[in-house]
Amino acid sequence: MGGWIIKLWQYALRRVLLFIPTLLGLTIIVFVLIHIGGTNKLLAMYLSPRLTGAARQQIIAELNQKFHFNDPIYIQYFYWLAQIFQGNWGITNTPIFSGPVTQAIEIFFPNTLILTIFAAILIWLISIPLGVHTAVNRDKPSDNVIRVGSLTFYAMPWYLIGIILIIIFAVWLKILPIAGTVNPSMVSDLSWYHNGISYPTHILLIDALIHGNFMVAGNAFLHLIMPSVTLALGVMAALVRLMRGTMLETLDQDFVNFARAKGVPEKVVINLHAKNNALLPVITNFGYLVAGLLGGVVVIEDVFSYPGIGMWLTDAMINNDMGGIMGGTLLFGIILVVTSLALDLIYAKIDPRIRY
Amino acid sequence: MSKNSNVKPDRFRELKLSLQVFFSNKSAVAGLIIFLFYLFDALILQFFPQILPFKHPYQLTPNYANPIPEPPSLKHPFGTTYPGIDLLNAIIKSIRLDFWLSLEIVIPGAIIGLVIGIIATYFGGWIDEVLMRITDIVFSIPYLVLAIAIGYVLGRTLQSMMIALILVWWPLYARYARSVTLETKELTFIEAARAAGTSNLKIMFKHILPNSLPPVFVQISLDLGTIMLTISALAFIGFLPAANLPELGYLTSLGYGYIQTAPWAMIIPGLFIVLFALAVNLMGDGFRDVIDPRRRSEL
Repeated sequence: MGGWIIKLWQYALRRVLLFIPTLLGLTIIVFVLIHIGGTNKLLAMYLSPRLTGAARQQIIAELNQKFHFNDPIYIQYFYWLAQIFQGNWGITNTPIFSGPVTQAIEIFFPNTLILTIFAAILIWLISIPLGVHTAVNRDKPSDNVIRVGSLTFYAMPWYLIGIILIIIFAVWLKILPIAGTVNPSMVSDLSWYHNGISYPTHILLIDALIHGNFMVAGNAFLHLIMPSVTLALGVMAALVRLMRGTMLETLDQDFVNFARAKGVPEKVVINLHAKNNALLPVITNFGYLVAGLLGGVVVIEDVFSYPGIGMWLTDAMINNDMGGIMGGTLLFGIILVVTSLALDLIYAKIDPRIRY
Repeated sequence: MSKNSNVKPDRFRELKLSLQVFFSNKSAVAGLIIFLFYLFDALILQFFPQILPFKHPYQLTPNYANPIPEPPSLKHPFGTTYPGIDLLNAIIKSIRLDFWLSLEIVIPGAIIGLVIGIIATYFGGWIDEVLMRITDIVFSIPYLVLAIAIGYVLGRTLQSMMIALILVWWPLYARYARSVTLETKELTFIEAARAAGTSNLKIMFKHILPNSLPPVFVQISLDLGTIMLTISALAFIGFLPAANLPELGYLTSLGYGYIQTAPWAMIIPGLFIVLFALAVNLMGDGFRDVIDPRRRSEL
């Protein structure tokens, strides 16, 4: 046991140390992308296009002092990195937001976060029971229907799932809102909501609950349903398949047969003995799956005009806005690198089967 | 998979057994048949476009006189989309572009990944550490996001979309090659080859590479679908500005403005994306059964 603990610490230490070059590598990729254009594109990232004449020259001079444009490129990298660490990520100019990149992240990221959390909860609630059901009813019609159904969603472009939901629930049934985070008329005279931004957490649903405005909270919740269901349906298949596979393996093991032989009712065998044992590898993959949702967020937020990082990024793309594109790329990279570090450490702790 | 390098089994019998396994899986066969339809379409349009009555086989033919989408009819079996594009024609043309584009992305991606993965594992030490760190970093950015960033730098065209996706597609293959090479490297026949004085390069690409090919082949089949979905997602969010290209994702985006009045304009091209992605997934699962009997029972 003692030896195992030392090994775990060694693993954790190695993992944390590896995290640093990975993070630096990420910044190098973004830095290289910024500089590939030949002319110094960095200026475009830090210079507001509205500036003209003397004011513009003065800002350029100031930027030169910060970024040392005349030094060799590898020296410039360190000056740029220092600015990034100080939170100076440049300026973004898109129809939905103009201003510092960090401020855009502060406004848009909470929306993306709540969407991802909602989707994660949905994926868990749908996939685990379906996985167990298909394993227990192996090769029966319901198994085949669920497997083909979830695979079909998996094979659908995310935006198409979203649009089919829009056609059904917003156009035909008219029970769910199509776009945005809230019905604008409901928030027009609220003291804690200005210019499409709610305070203090920037997550409308939570802010409305904090201020005790349940009508707005309910409406914000309705706006979250379709985007998060879309996100969940798109990746559900992976988890259903995994749960089915591990459940089938577990149901085949000696201890399960022993429980059955002992006379434990089949329901208890499945839900208590087998399911809990089958969950561990599923939990391990669930975290990475949810982290992977961030890619889908880009498309889905665009379809539902949901003001999160993804919509900002697509807006930046269409408007060739360097600050938004590079800021978004760096942010997504940092989130995934940090999340995967955290997940690796947590799983190493909870899952003794992980070998290092 | 590694057996066949040691002892030469009866190749013909092995092939027969593999085919039996594959064809006993009905959904995999269905996937293969659908895939062959797409392949057929892509081959005909690429090499014998004159057979089909298309004036412009490689671009869309809008009809501005009648731009509003029309429902399916005898003249337009799949209806039309904005601006007056016949959907059947457009889809036949689009399948060619999407099919070759997917192949042109996945094959170079797989080759780059394999080479990096094998070199890293074979030499081990700091080379392995550095190459795998690079792989991790590229892996850590969602590929849609990285493709957008690369697209910004190179300019948003079909060419740059292809380059961007190749640049984001190799890490998975590097990891595959690495895990297979780690196993193969320790086998006796590699040691024997080394003892006999075979060069590193020859060991890597003549002895180790063939062993990592079957799982890579499965992955390529699955990835054809993922790439098709990625291309269409990029086209949908506006990666290709005013492209006028026969591309399924672009076709769906043309119908986007009419989802309330003309849902078919979006649903029908979308269906052809789903069909392809589903087919290659089923087919890939069938291949996986062939090379890995343990997974035979899973879909």
